[in-house]
Amino acid sequence: MLARLGLEPGDEEFYAEQLSGILRHIDRLQELDTDHIPPTAQVVEVANTLREDEPRPCLTQADALANAPAAVDGFFRVPSIQEEA
Amino acid sequence: MDLTRLTIGELADLLRAHETSAQELLGLHLERIDDADGDVKAFLRLTPQLAAEQARAADRALKEGTAGPLTGIPMAVKDVLCLSGVETTAGSKILRGFRPPYTGTAVQRLIDAGAVVLGVTNCDEFAMGSSTENSGYFATHNPWGLDRVPGGSSGGSAAAVAAGESVFSLGTDTGGSIRQPAALCGVVGMKPTYGRVSRYGLIAFASSLDQIGPFTRSVEDCAVVLETMAGHDPLDATCADRPNDVRRGLDAGVRGMRLGVPKEYFDVEGMEPGVKQSVQRALRMLEASGAELVDVSLPHTDYGLAAYYIIAPAECSSNLARFDGVKYGMSDQDAQNITEAYMNTRRRGFGSEVRRRVMLGTYALSSGYYDAYYLKAQKVRTLIKRDFDEAFEKCDAIVSATSPTVAFPLGAKTQDPLSMYLCDVLTLGGNLAGLPGISVPCGMSNGLPVGLQVLAPQWREDTALRVARAYEVASGMRVEPALV
Repeated sequence: MLARLGLEPGDEEFYAEQLSGILRHIDRLQELDTDHIPPTAQVVEVANTLREDEPRPCLTQADALANAPAAVDGFFRVPSIQEEA
Repeated sequence: MDLTRLTIGELADLLRAHETSAQELLGLHLERIDDADGDVKAFLRLTPQLAAEQARAADRALKEGTAGPLTGIPMAVKDVLCLSGVETTAGSKILRGFRPPYTGTAVQRLIDAGAVVLGVTNCDEFAMGSSTENSGYFATHNPWGLDRVPGGSSGGSAAAVAAGESVFSLGTDTGGSIRQPAALCGVVGMKPTYGRVSRYGLIAFASSLDQIGPFTRSVEDCAVVLETMAGHDPLDATCADRPNDVRRGLDAGVRGMRLGVPKEYFDVEGMEPGVKQSVQRALRMLEASGAELVDVSLPHTDYGLAAYYIIAPAECSSNLARFDGVKYGMSDQDAQNITEAYMNTRRRGFGSEVRRRVMLGTYALSSGYYDAYYLKAQKVRTLIKRDFDEAFEKCDAIVSATSPTVAFPLGAKTQDPLSMYLCDVLTLGGNLAGLPGISVPCGMSNGLPVGLQVLAPQWREDTALRVARAYEVASGMRVEPALV
């Protein structure tokens, strides 16, 4: 549900079995003592890459909407996000 | 002379001597694609009009004497790299019809250098896979054996170069997706150091691991293409501002160099004897060229796959949240509410491997499991990086097989995801540690190509290329396109 994947009937069993096998392999990580090991999120040494806050050209509204499945009045159109009261 | 079998260097000489033209090369390669690609299926789409314009411009530059080493050279681009106005789909149905409003930095730099874009190559959906069978469109076949996979995820790019359909091509490598197909298709392929090439305009899979790199027919060609793409780009905050020194000492040879041989990499599950023998022969050749082979250890090798299959899916589940049917691509316009629209779009648009990884990643990041999976995997990533740091204290580069196996039959691993994941067991460590790695062909086993992998410390592409070049010279290796 969290991933908004929209499962088909039967999908749950199919993926549950495969994912269990993969998670069994992944469980070997628990063999390692990592209490005093810092995590690595990324490997580059560059940090805090900042730039001057100056206006620059960017995509036009028309370019940004060019691939939209549905657009109206310069906005992306989506179905209702609220239940009717 | 068959001009679809030459290297960039050889073609550049002919172009500058006016013995051929960019437009003639374009025509010959489109003919070759016409002849071979019905069997190989490397290309998803061709861009003949764009290519014709670029070839005309290249011929003008050649006439005016302003041509560079890539002017007029045909190239192919993996379907994950944005090319302005040209349909780019990441091998996925969910992006069918998407025409990017801009071109990514790496591709733009090659276009600016005069390369001619033939078209867009097939890949596993969102670059997730090791056989190109996960493409949302069709499978690509290995030019060395049409019943075999080309490897993946950049299988179309590797097969196009191997089949003589393109002189070079671009792929992306998140866990081995350049090096493994290069090995299986008998061409040269390189993943640069993380941060060497800008990822701007690359449709993201796992942002801390993805890198763009070339497929070529020689090590020299690989260095030329990499040098052209590399370098700082303000549009990618992880792209480092460092000297572009990848070609330094390319022809200096390996005399006096120490090459580390990690014992764990020769005993991985599923290592084929023919692959091991070919690689050991290559190592003896490097030794005979003056390198010293030293034993090194990468003790956490057995945990690499497990760490990778937390980190990569976690990052992908986050990156792929943007494919929701609102901004581009496939969309369910009949849904009653937004949640139903998301669900229907993603159900219809994503294939099973993508769904598997999004589920795995979402699970690993969810509260209650975060520490046990994602944080644990990041800590193990540190241990793997330390293994490499310690090994590189004893050696200049690490040599091994690229893939434990030669190209396997189509369909052989599609029912068992874990067996497919094991294809990358020798390459994914390089991604977790951010290292540059190259695969060069080192002979055949059962009539199929074997790849030698050279890994070097971060930012030492020059070392990896130099060792690969020394092997190429010592072995007399020449990438001959497989004739389908």
